[in-house]
Amino acid sequence: MKRQLQRIYMALIVILLYAPIITLVVLSFNSSKTRAKWGGFTGKWYAALFQNDTIMEALYTTLIIALLAAVISTVIGTAAAIGIHSMKRRARTVFLGVNNIPMLNGEIVTGISLMLLFLAFRVRFGFLTILLTHITFCTPYVILSVMPKLKQTSRYTYEAALDLGATPLRAFFTVVFPDIMPGVLSGFLMAFTLSLDDFVITHFTKGAGVDTLSTKIYSEVRKGIKPEMYALSALLFVTVLVLLLLVNMNPQDSKSAPTFFRDAEGRRHFRFSRRFLLGRLVPALLVILVAGGGIYYGARAGNGNTNDQLIVYNWGEYMDPEVIDLFEEETGIRVIYEEFETNEIMYPKVKAGAVAYDLVCPSDYMIQKMIDNDLLAEINFDNVPNIKNIGSVYMEKSRAFDPENKYSVPYTWGTVGILYNKTMVSEPVDSWKILWDSKYSDSILMQDSVRDAFAVALKYLGYSLNSTNIQELSEAQSLLISQKPLVQAYVIDQVRDKMIGNEAALGVIYSGEAIFTQKENPDLEYVIPKEGSNLWIDSWVIPKNAQHKENAEKFINFLCRPDIALMNFDYITYSTPNTEARKLIEDESIRNSTIAFPDDEMLADCETFQYLGQDADELYNRLWREVKSK
Amino acid sequence: MSNKLINLVDITKVYDGQTVLDELNLYIRENEFLTLLGPSGCGKTTTLRIIGGFENPDRGQVIFNGQDITTLPPYKRQLNTVFQKYALFPHMSIAENIAFGLKIKGKSRQYINDKIKYALKLVNLEGFENRSPSLLSGGQQQRVAIARAIVNEPKVLLLDEPLGALDLKLRQDMQYELIRLKNELGITFIYVTHDQEEALTMSDTIVVMNQGYIQQIGTPEDIYNEPQNAFVADFIGESNIFPGLMIEDRLVEIFGAKFACVDEGFGRNKPVDVVIRPEDIDLVKPKKGIITGRVTSLIFKGVHYEMDVMANGVEWTVHSTDMVPVGEEVGIWVEPSDIQIMHKPESEDEEAVSLEES
Repeated sequence: MKRQLQRIYMALIVILLYAPIITLVVLSFNSSKTRAKWGGFTGKWYAALFQNDTIMEALYTTLIIALLAAVISTVIGTAAAIGIHSMKRRARTVFLGVNNIPMLNGEIVTGISLMLLFLAFRVRFGFLTILLTHITFCTPYVILSVMPKLKQTSRYTYEAALDLGATPLRAFFTVVFPDIMPGVLSGFLMAFTLSLDDFVITHFTKGAGVDTLSTKIYSEVRKGIKPEMYALSALLFVTVLVLLLLVNMNPQDSKSAPTFFRDAEGRRHFRFSRRFLLGRLVPALLVILVAGGGIYYGARAGNGNTNDQLIVYNWGEYMDPEVIDLFEEETGIRVIYEEFETNEIMYPKVKAGAVAYDLVCPSDYMIQKMIDNDLLAEINFDNVPNIKNIGSVYMEKSRAFDPENKYSVPYTWGTVGILYNKTMVSEPVDSWKILWDSKYSDSILMQDSVRDAFAVALKYLGYSLNSTNIQELSEAQSLLISQKPLVQAYVIDQVRDKMIGNEAALGVIYSGEAIFTQKENPDLEYVIPKEGSNLWIDSWVIPKNAQHKENAEKFINFLCRPDIALMNFDYITYSTPNTEARKLIEDESIRNSTIAFPDDEMLADCETFQYLGQDADELYNRLWREVKSK
Repeated sequence: MSNKLINLVDITKVYDGQTVLDELNLYIRENEFLTLLGPSGCGKTTTLRIIGGFENPDRGQVIFNGQDITTLPPYKRQLNTVFQKYALFPHMSIAENIAFGLKIKGKSRQYINDKIKYALKLVNLEGFENRSPSLLSGGQQQRVAIARAIVNEPKVLLLDEPLGALDLKLRQDMQYELIRLKNELGITFIYVTHDQEEALTMSDTIVVMNQGYIQQIGTPEDIYNEPQNAFVADFIGESNIFPGLMIEDRLVEIFGAKFACVDEGFGRNKPVDVVIRPEDIDLVKPKKGIITGRVTSLIFKGVHYEMDVMANGVEWTVHSTDMVPVGEEVGIWVEPSDIQIMHKPESEDEEAVSLEES
């Protein structure tokens, strides 16, 4: 009985620990693109993974950083450990304490402080900053791993070597080093694993166009369903697992001299095979991997002149990669392409100026904020003749945030509306009202973001979604609170998945997502409520500190070419403001889709968001917190 | 055994404000077996490490064959060390261990192999070439350590308590081995130990040290029979050390009883220390003794009996092959030549200290 309980307890713990990872691994073999349904077993995501150049490049970057960081921090750490070991007790205690602090420190603190340090010394963010960072946080672990081995080694063996004529250096390498080798190796593997694994610190110190696997996975996953990422995460997990097994295969034998004799025989054999494995095989494989990758990608990346560069900072999944290839081919300019997930993540990065982005694609209200904060450069429209292809109605709408059309060129636009499932909602949907209908209790999905949620309520009440009137806002707040019992969940990206998976009847969604969901589930229908809604515009802007402004204007002009705009429309499915491109759309149902291209009449009551200032932001946030906590 | 091979001049060493060696002067002759003997912390190991080059003295010089080698690093000195904990290289085989020094010197493969064979034969470990050090017993490891040192043909072999970790029987065997080795090799041995029996058995010369000072230098017989102060007397073997009064030449008073002795030149009525070895005391019939006392304890020690006799208010330790039962009244008799008279200590350092057994 007792034994059974023990077993059940152990099983529960193992399940608890590994259920998430097993889920991930299972999903990586799911042939359906959404995680909501099982479409049968497949290895195609793994195949796709290895054909994806940006991921393979991130993989290569990750490996070379991990290897370099591990090698350098092992050398530094081992030398430091030897130094600390030979210190007097007091100094040693102090140094070991100092060594331990960075390890206990929160990763985010380490990341931010390193970022600030690099900013202070005006170090250009990029590969080098990541490498330096990784060396920094790996070294203490190497020291920690080498120290106990050093304590076990006898001072006398080193002296004996000196005595027999070996110089101190030779004595170290022939006598001391083999003794501490297991510690050095596990320090190396530990550093390699940590570097491979790190996300938070890398996130803060990486530069434009450099991604490690973890930052790549993060940005890809933020963009939504990408089963390749499950496959990649699964591979990463397996790699780290194998490395950890290797590290733990050499247990810290803390046995003192007497036991040393007794179990000497077995130990000797074990040590040999381990030494072979760790000392020869693993490094050899790593070298082959890195050298191979280096030749492959080195040839690919080339050493571009920095004057022929263009650093683009765009939303994830927001441009057809072929468009970039075409641009590079036509102009010879090398595009360094980086992605962000939200306007709020993008803004501080541009403002900090660590990376001098040449071209950024923020949303309407954020553009207004950037103009207010003097972060943007005026675009020289002489270099953008293709601006003529942009419909005048969109230029007009842009004036809400860029009053003189000086700073921005519209790239995509869309609306916010209601997505509903025709099999669950039989009545006609034309008003926000339906989101307050108790018939659909627990089948309604709301956006989990303050402005989007208040926009729905404010519009339903007939107010402006940029209202700062406290009276109007508290009305909207009460309305949202009264809606709360009916809402199944406040979510962002999951609206799409849940609606495709028939998990909810009604959801507030962006029009671009709506087109995608309809392809996956034909029962879904999108509508812009008659009270009006949010019309959003994402536009290209050039930050003031851009180093390659003319290249940026060239690229904007390129993007405004109808054929290029069409490629991007096909890729991202968000509405294009390029009227010439729209004419080129072959599929009539899409060209005339009221979701992608609603009539001007439908847009009459739609507004773009505006930046309301800090006070209003705080008011909105406070009211929204109250809604969520009620 | 003539010229001075090593000469230590005014060697002073201070650790953390504590003086470990204070102006030590000592020379070692060629082909000598010299032992540094003393309790732990007396500075004997530090002296050896200074000779070996592992420590630099704060003051003073180390002269080797007429050359000042005070600051020469160990790997440039023509001497080799056998360490207390053997210090074999655990990841090398026995042969590799022995070959270590020769490989560094760039000797030929053939030469090295011959030397390994020769050295292993010398230490009675033939056929052990490919074993791992961890598979050997303590005594075997010690022999390998010696073999590893002597293949380099050093002028001097330094041995730092090499037998300290071995059990009694093995220790005795190894003592004979070391004497044999020294005679076969004809090189100088400097040996550090805290074991007086080891020192007496093997050495040509013994240097007794305490608290950084040399207490006495002499042959084993000198040291044993004529200790120059109470510390040496107490440290070497067992002794009865009593305060006494030198009444005149060849007559000393101990606790009111007058003993004839052979020492002269101490002056008249001078306080001195008197050393009488337990085995030099004869227990006789009460009336035949110089003083009389009563046996208070009796212990059988194998070779002899150890008895405590209470006489004139103090306890006398006596070793004898004849047993006298507890409670019996006995007379105490000492031959004049067995009484050793010493000056009273002039400094605290010379005073007999309680000895740590390590």
